[in-house]
Amino acid sequence: MFDAVVNNLPFLMGGFWVTVKLMFFALAGGIPLGILVGLGRISRKRWVYYPVTLYVNVIRNIPLILVIFWFYFVMPIIIGRPLDPFPSAVISFIIFEATYFGEIIRAGYQSVSKGQIEAGYSTGLTYIQTTRYILVPIALRRMLPSMITQSIVTYQDTCLAFVIGLPEFIRRARIVDTLEVRSIQLFGFVAIVFLITCYIGSVMSRRFEVKEQEGG
Amino acid sequence: MIQIKNVSKWFGDFQVLRDINEQVKEGQTVVVCGPSGSGKSTLLRCINGLEPFQKGEITVDGVSVGDRATNLYKLRTEIGMVFQRFELYPHMTALQNITLAPMKVRNRPKKKAQDHAMRLLERVGIPEKANEYPANLSGGQQQRVAIARSLAMEPKIMMFDEPTSALDPEMIKEVLEVMIDLAKGGMTMIVVTHEMGFAREVADEIIFMDEGTIIERGTDINFFQNPKSPRTKDFLDKILI
Repeated sequence: MFDAVVNNLPFLMGGFWVTVKLMFFALAGGIPLGILVGLGRISRKRWVYYPVTLYVNVIRNIPLILVIFWFYFVMPIIIGRPLDPFPSAVISFIIFEATYFGEIIRAGYQSVSKGQIEAGYSTGLTYIQTTRYILVPIALRRMLPSMITQSIVTYQDTCLAFVIGLPEFIRRARIVDTLEVRSIQLFGFVAIVFLITCYIGSVMSRRFEVKEQEGG
Repeated sequence: MIQIKNVSKWFGDFQVLRDINEQVKEGQTVVVCGPSGSGKSTLLRCINGLEPFQKGEITVDGVSVGDRATNLYKLRTEIGMVFQRFELYPHMTALQNITLAPMKVRNRPKKKAQDHAMRLLERVGIPEKANEYPANLSGGQQQRVAIARSLAMEPKIMMFDEPTSALDPEMIKEVLEVMIDLAKGGMTMIVVTHEMGFAREVADEIIFMDEGTIIERGTDINFFQNPKSPRTKDFLDKILI
């Protein structure tokens, strides 16, 4: 019943591994860059705030697939040599996802009431202590569910690397499909793998939401 | 204890405080009342350096608040502040809320800080809530934890910024009782409130502010019975019903 999947399992799972690596690098770069973007978006320094805000607004209003295209097809013209699909895709994802992570971080920061910070100051805590014991823990708790959700979205977004010929999970399923003509089982298999992995992620996210409520 | 001399403050072009003069002696309770936007909260925030002011001088226990050389962090350990909206740290239990500053600022050992916090919770009447998170406490209980949190630093002065305004009527009394107890125990207090029953019972002085100035001051009896300015009379009529 799953003959096409079983016969090509190493090849397909190799594609899954590419997808996982893409996600890993996209998050490993996107979250730290997102933190910088988030800090830039709450900065009072105009020369920081305005460029970062422009970057966020431009990227968030372009479809991801265009960012991937741009990077893969336009960058080589600018830098004068072709780029490999994998690093090119990773960089596109980092640039794109960082804007979303940045906005989550900005919202988390702004959700902490100014009064709670002042309450800290009024007991004699310093700026660093207030940031460390009050601002960061409260903000982190509030943004964790959204961060996990966005990570799941990033994971699903990696499929779009398909368009620049990267042999990731879906592309490999399609290659097998052209040979074996078993669309339903092949794409069904891909869907099930995504379903299970994403479901695990969303369960984790929900656990943190529950924890947040209990912890106030 | 607190000396306020000719203090003025602007938010941009808008003047919030106009030439304020006031003295609070050790052990005194001063009640500040007045309509919203009259600068009461801003005055409190200037006293512990949460807000800067542009003119005049405030000294707390001999230390000038406006002086750049003053260590505001150290000054604030001497001045407790209680906020209208409690502002408890939501990720910490009542006990942790209270012990944070003593442990981090005064470097008290955890056990000692916790014992002290428990005594304070007993004093405000809710020792059984020590391990509850703020979300599981009523407004009145949260405010009492907030008072205990300020007291944990053993301040010389306590400031209250409309501490009962965000509370349901049945919870106001439990908070006021704690405050009356403090005032009678000799704490130096500045209280922004419209609870005139509280003012009558413990205030050594009541000041009435409007549009950034103190337009009337008095000890309790003459303040309530024969306000000099029509503005004060009008305001008192509204809040005393």
